[in-house]
Amino acid sequence: MADIDPVALRVFVYNELLDRGMPPRITEIAVHFRVAPNEARRALAELRIGKTILVHPQSGEVWMAGPFSATETPYRVTLGHRQWWANCAWDMFGIATIARAMVRVDTHCTDCGDPMNLVCDPDVPPNDRGVVHFLVPARRWYENIGFT
Amino acid sequence: MSLFRSEEHVRRWTARHDYDVGAMLDLTRVWRLANAWYGDPRASDWRPRTRDESQAVLASVGLTGEFWELPR
Repeated sequence: MADIDPVALRVFVYNELLDRGMPPRITEIAVHFRVAPNEARRALAELRIGKTILVHPQSGEVWMAGPFSATETPYRVTLGHRQWWANCAWDMFGIATIARAMVRVDTHCTDCGDPMNLVCDPDVPPNDRGVVHFLVPARRWYENIGFT
Repeated sequence: MSLFRSEEHVRRWTARHDYDVGAMLDLTRVWRLANAWYGDPRASDWRPRTRDESQAVLASVGLTGEFWELPR
């Protein structure tokens, strides 16, 4: 069977994410590209686009496709009927940028837990109050992407 | 990169967990950073940036100095 073109795979992953709110599973990738699931798993593992698409070390499924998380985070992003999880406070703006749309973010203060509801618009600076904290210096961002 | 209500909340949280204070950015700066950082990965000509290109993006929104230095 033919290998999956990495560009086509990347585009498929992000189109599914933006359209459905979740990345495609290995079985869905296999069906879409008409390959065996093992080939889809291998193609995902080999995608390794910098730090953009990461697969789960055990399941091999898409774990993160920056700025989106495949699992729940404190940053729920909503656009109409679609919802996503942003990896972090930086990425909640990134979702608005990639979606090319104003999105709503529901989250909370990391310290006190008070709800924080924001609007992120790629074309308009934010009007909400808040501070984004970078605990880890840039030279260590990729040592433990989950902690960062 | 976590969201807090204010710098006071960051300092309280870092003290409670015995962390270094790190860096704090207002939302407008992070908005500018995200707009500069994220291209559209659905574009066929999209590619990952090099380390130097990423460093230039950080510098374009005023993030310079040791804390913002990416690994070589």
